[in-house]
Amino acid sequence: MNKPKIAVDLILNKIAESTEKVKVRAQKASEVLLSSLETDLAVTPHEIVYQEDRVSLKYYKPEKVKHKFPLLLVYALINRETMLDLQPGRSVVETFLKNGIEVYMVDWGYPTRKDQFVTIDDHVNGYMDNIVDFIRKKHDIPHVNLMGICMGGAFSVMYSALHPEKIKNLVTTVTPTNFDTDTGLLHIWMKNTQAFMMGESYGNMPGDLMNLGFLLLNPARLIIDKYVGFFENIDNKDFVENFVRMEKWIFDSPDIPAATFKQFIEDCYQKNLLIQSKMELGGKRVDLKNITMPLLNFYGKFDHLVPPEACELLTKHVGSKDTEDICLNTGHIGIYVSSKCQELFAPKVAAWLKERESDEKKAKPDPAKKKVLGKKKANINKTSGLVKNTLSKSSSNKKISAKTVK
Amino acid sequence: MDGKDKKQTGAEEMFADWMKSATDFLGGLTKMQPGWPDMFGSTADTPKGPAQKSKKAWDSGSKYFQALFSSFSNPENLSGVFKGMDAVPDFMTSITQQTWDGFLELQKQWMERASKAGQQTKAYNFDDIDQDTFKTIREIYENEFQKFLKIPALGLNRFHQEKINRLIDKYTLFQTSLAEFLYVFSIPLEKASAVMQENIEQMAEQGDINHDFKDYYNMWVKVLEGHYMTLLKSSEYTQVMDNTIKSLVQYREAKNDLLCDVLQQQFPVPTNRDMDELYKEIYLLKKKVKELSRQVNSDQ
Repeated sequence: MNKPKIAVDLILNKIAESTEKVKVRAQKASEVLLSSLETDLAVTPHEIVYQEDRVSLKYYKPEKVKHKFPLLLVYALINRETMLDLQPGRSVVETFLKNGIEVYMVDWGYPTRKDQFVTIDDHVNGYMDNIVDFIRKKHDIPHVNLMGICMGGAFSVMYSALHPEKIKNLVTTVTPTNFDTDTGLLHIWMKNTQAFMMGESYGNMPGDLMNLGFLLLNPARLIIDKYVGFFENIDNKDFVENFVRMEKWIFDSPDIPAATFKQFIEDCYQKNLLIQSKMELGGKRVDLKNITMPLLNFYGKFDHLVPPEACELLTKHVGSKDTEDICLNTGHIGIYVSSKCQELFAPKVAAWLKERESDEKKAKPDPAKKKVLGKKKANINKTSGLVKNTLSKSSSNKKISAKTVK
Repeated sequence: MDGKDKKQTGAEEMFADWMKSATDFLGGLTKMQPGWPDMFGSTADTPKGPAQKSKKAWDSGSKYFQALFSSFSNPENLSGVFKGMDAVPDFMTSITQQTWDGFLELQKQWMERASKAGQQTKAYNFDDIDQDTFKTIREIYENEFQKFLKIPALGLNRFHQEKINRLIDKYTLFQTSLAEFLYVFSIPLEKASAVMQENIEQMAEQGDINHDFKDYYNMWVKVLEGHYMTLLKSSEYTQVMDNTIKSLVQYREAKNDLLCDVLQQQFPVPTNRDMDELYKEIYLLKKKVKELSRQVNSDQ
């Protein structure tokens, strides 16, 4: 056996260098950690304008209102809506305000044991409907723009199907509607385990247990590598501040009401009722064909929680003729917080809403004309980073298929 | 000691004399009593007060003792008593012997059962010990030990005893499931280490040893992530996870069941069970009120 040639001296030198680097980094790290760090979340000024039980409504007013219809943001029950207003310069809310949109955001609060019986119906036909009515009354408008995030997106889809007359435009982001996929681990686990039993056992599904589940989706990266990265950059104040801010957000997890958790797993993950228009809320069927308002559907190409397969079928199942799918080259959270998506996501939503602002009295598509509709290529603004997309368009009828935004 | 060989020692007569004087003393004490009801202001004609009741009880008690002692003071009876007392050690010895024999027999049965533990389970191939250890342990527990916790409880505390047994049972099953889950979850770490070892050996043979440890770490994380992805998608892992969830829920249920009973009986505090009922009522009431107020608003 040939003796391997290993440069032992080089290895020893490298170890010595690393030791020196670690010593210097540790000294800087103590300076950084002992200094005052800016790690506050959700610092954009707002006021609470509505409160019901644990649920409250935040109102963000732009300096100059440029949109007639305000935008209601509905976040998921998992984690908190502060993700949309992470920090100045990395805030979806801030971008909307810059574009002159009045923003309302639902804060679901922290469910306690007394909320364990609250169902999806209570969230959708109760809290959401009351909030929408409150905004309509306040602004004296017939309908509002609605944007849903993840599970909040699913709630928004349900709401729009049950109350289409109250919603002008619908924006769904990383919203799971088709649960019949094995691409995401979450789908596999929820389908093949009785996870909802934990919710019943604890009164509500504990947020910490949910977080543990999310960490177990990719232990190597989320439990080990993430913190190795942190220690490698512990002497960088900006990095530490951003890291701590994200850490604060990710582990700020309200519990999920047991009844809602159970219903979401059984009806959506296990029976896939939503996309089939078979789900029932408050005795009414959630028929996706009732969604006739314009629909903009965002999802992440590398989303391991809600993979594209879980999102992309929605536009094909709704009754709306004005739909658009946009697939961004990012993960579940990246859409809202990555620097690149800051330029692509919120400005695109603002522009899309503005386009449909004047379209108040929209002509219904003429069935006779439907057959002669042709396809043509649409020129997309390159600065927005959108690639070519196929467009089937008439004055009142357009369907835009998915495109990847790089 | 044989009672038949015993001789008269004169102790019977001495004991009889003592018995007689004790009986006379009790009789005298009883005669002193007419004075005591007057202390409480009650009369003998109206035996209603507590003093009269006490007097009556004393009378009957002392008469009982007098009757007993006077019968003892009869030497023939006394002789019988002494003979009976001679039989006590024999009786005790016999009882102890029986108990001890019974216990030893039971212990023997238990030992035999313990030595056979696992024989009822399928003969596992322990060459593949990693895969089947937890399954074997669970089956041994379920077949050999769980039955002891399911022995019907008796008496006043039977319900509590059953709940305690159930808690012990569910806790054991949960611990077994959790141990299996943690073991399965650690497999990728083991495999990633083995792969890294192979890679480093190959690199060393080729003289291609990297000087930067960060590269090794990156390689290891990538390998580990791959192994985890394979594991986490597998039906085996999902099954183990589901078992852990179910056993955790059952253990918590048993624990809460017992805890609610203890709290309810020992402390003046409402339990989760009580509060949940109340919360449900409030929830339904609120829902009803909201529905009615909507109807009223729409009618106006």
